[in-house]
Amino acid sequence: MKKRTLLERMASAPHLVWMVLFIVAPLLFVAYYAFTTPDGSFTFENIAALSNHAETFLFSVCMALISTVICLLIGYPLAYCISRASARAQKILIMLIMLPMWMNLLIRTYSMMAILDDGGFLNNLLMRLGFAPVHIVGTAGAVIFGMVYNFLPYMVLPIHSVISKLDWRLIEAANDLGCNNFRVLTRVILPLSVPGIISGLTMVFVPSISTFYISQKLGGGTFELIGDTIERQFQNPVTYHVGASISLVMMILILISLAIMNRFSDSETGGMIA
Amino acid sequence: MKQEKVIQLQNISKSFDGEKILNNINLYIRDKEFITLLGPSGCGKTTMLRLIAGFETPDEGTILFEGKPINDVPPYQRSVNTVFQKYALFPHLNVFENIAFGLRLKKLPEEQIRKQVKDMLALVNLKGFERRNVERLSGGQQQRVAIARALINHPKVLLLDEPLAALDLKLRKDMQVELKNMQKRTGITFIYVTHDQEEALSMSDTVMVIAEGEIQQIGTPTDIYNEPVNAFVADFIGESNILDGVMTADYKATFSGHTFDCVDSGFEKNEKVDIVVRPEDVDVVPCERGMLVGDVTGVTFKGVHYEIIVDIRGFKWMIQSTDYVAPGDHIGLSIDPDAIHVMKKSRFSNMFGDYSSFSDELEKLSDLSEEENE
Repeated sequence: MKKRTLLERMASAPHLVWMVLFIVAPLLFVAYYAFTTPDGSFTFENIAALSNHAETFLFSVCMALISTVICLLIGYPLAYCISRASARAQKILIMLIMLPMWMNLLIRTYSMMAILDDGGFLNNLLMRLGFAPVHIVGTAGAVIFGMVYNFLPYMVLPIHSVISKLDWRLIEAANDLGCNNFRVLTRVILPLSVPGIISGLTMVFVPSISTFYISQKLGGGTFELIGDTIERQFQNPVTYHVGASISLVMMILILISLAIMNRFSDSETGGMIA
Repeated sequence: MKQEKVIQLQNISKSFDGEKILNNINLYIRDKEFITLLGPSGCGKTTMLRLIAGFETPDEGTILFEGKPINDVPPYQRSVNTVFQKYALFPHLNVFENIAFGLRLKKLPEEQIRKQVKDMLALVNLKGFERRNVERLSGGQQQRVAIARALINHPKVLLLDEPLAALDLKLRKDMQVELKNMQKRTGITFIYVTHDQEEALSMSDTVMVIAEGEIQQIGTPTDIYNEPVNAFVADFIGESNILDGVMTADYKATFSGHTFDCVDSGFEKNEKVDIVVRPEDVDVVPCERGMLVGDVTGVTFKGVHYEIIVDIRGFKWMIQSTDYVAPGDHIGLSIDPDAIHVMKKSRFSNMFGDYSSFSDELEKLSDLSEEENE
């Protein structure tokens, strides 16, 4: 590789400093805490303590998987429909999808609570209309709903961006060779949108598995996800180290699953995404 | 030889955004023929192809396939296949799967698919390319895959939309010959769209010249070249000197201040006409024997011949001659009666000037802008 000039190196220096300061250093801190006791001596106890949280961990994975799959089932058709619309309509629809993302997650979740709570907007409406109220907040369904609601845009956007960039001549070619519209979808559009699906899946799964706020509020305290566990550990200086060890293990697991997904997408598309 | 009409277009009109692209088109295409739709970009030739493929529906008129209207038949139910301009190969499939695409949809047994793809690869000279990634192939190879992918479905008609436009000259010449051979061997009707007149003349059984959404002329390549119906066709096909003339009597045409013997008759007395004289049909003679006399203003060596620009009464003629003359020479020109082609005046008359602004560079520039428009 070409040797970089001084100017080039100086231009990249701020980024390097930023990355070391805010990405590498915190990771090292997490690793440090994970393997030490409060008085600073090296230990594996924190890692061993993980077994107490195995059930929570499994439950979190299940919840995250379910919400990711639901996001895909809703998000793919949605992204597909949006990309078929006129350029103007597409802009507006994408804007609508992104709009909630401009609001804070906490505020969105709070307002969801206000709507879904036992005495909330939805139940008031149901009762006025003469229906029995529904208990929603505090159920697993509410937590999944919260995740899907909050993370759906992360599924729609990458899929939309892949489908909308598809060469329409490929669709005509498929039509020409005997595909009806359904087969065009299954034989051409779907395989070619795999890269978008993969990034959508990861972008939804990762925040879903680590969320703690949604489960606390919409779960009404009945459920504990691994995110909640970590948060609780970090609120007490004594259990700081256990929290760090759970974070570390989770991070590694997420990295492994990302690597697997990327491998999968590479072989599927013949190296279409870099 | 009586041939069946495989495709007919009846009173077809099509507009995009209020602009009329095709205006009342009537034509038929015979079975097993190689027909070329030839015209400048934007003339509607690609639209005509897309109507036949089923990607567009006509605003007015009927498209018949073997006598049956197919206006409402979707593309996937027509026995027509297309070779797209930029090939449109499926990037997620390798060469084998691209070619097998149509057969897989028909749910043919694996054994048969394998055999047919193999035969097809042999036909397009791509043996052993089965597992290749289509995106890593050269333009010419992608082109062959695209042709194989279409031909394997044994369509009645193959539509080719400027399939050679992206290839370099040498490869284009080779592919022209190959395509023509393939058409003969398979007996499939080829409808070929191009703006390259040389390509059209060398490959086709029938050439159809289109301009401004209307068919100008349909005929064999020799007819089109020797007997253009109007100034547009004369100018678009090959090089031509197009002059204003008057038919003073049957077999007598006056232009450039001289009355020539010609082979055309049936015009009214003193009818104004367009005269076409091809550059290769003019003989350079000594001044005293010349029917016309002029000054040489430019000479370009072209290999086989010289291209000579001669100023005759302010009109710059182009002449092709194997004999060298020098710029500034005073020369005489002689034209045989059968080299003079007389055409009725049309709305294209006077649209094409002489060769005063002619230069190769200009022509190349306009070619480039044409490609960008596509």
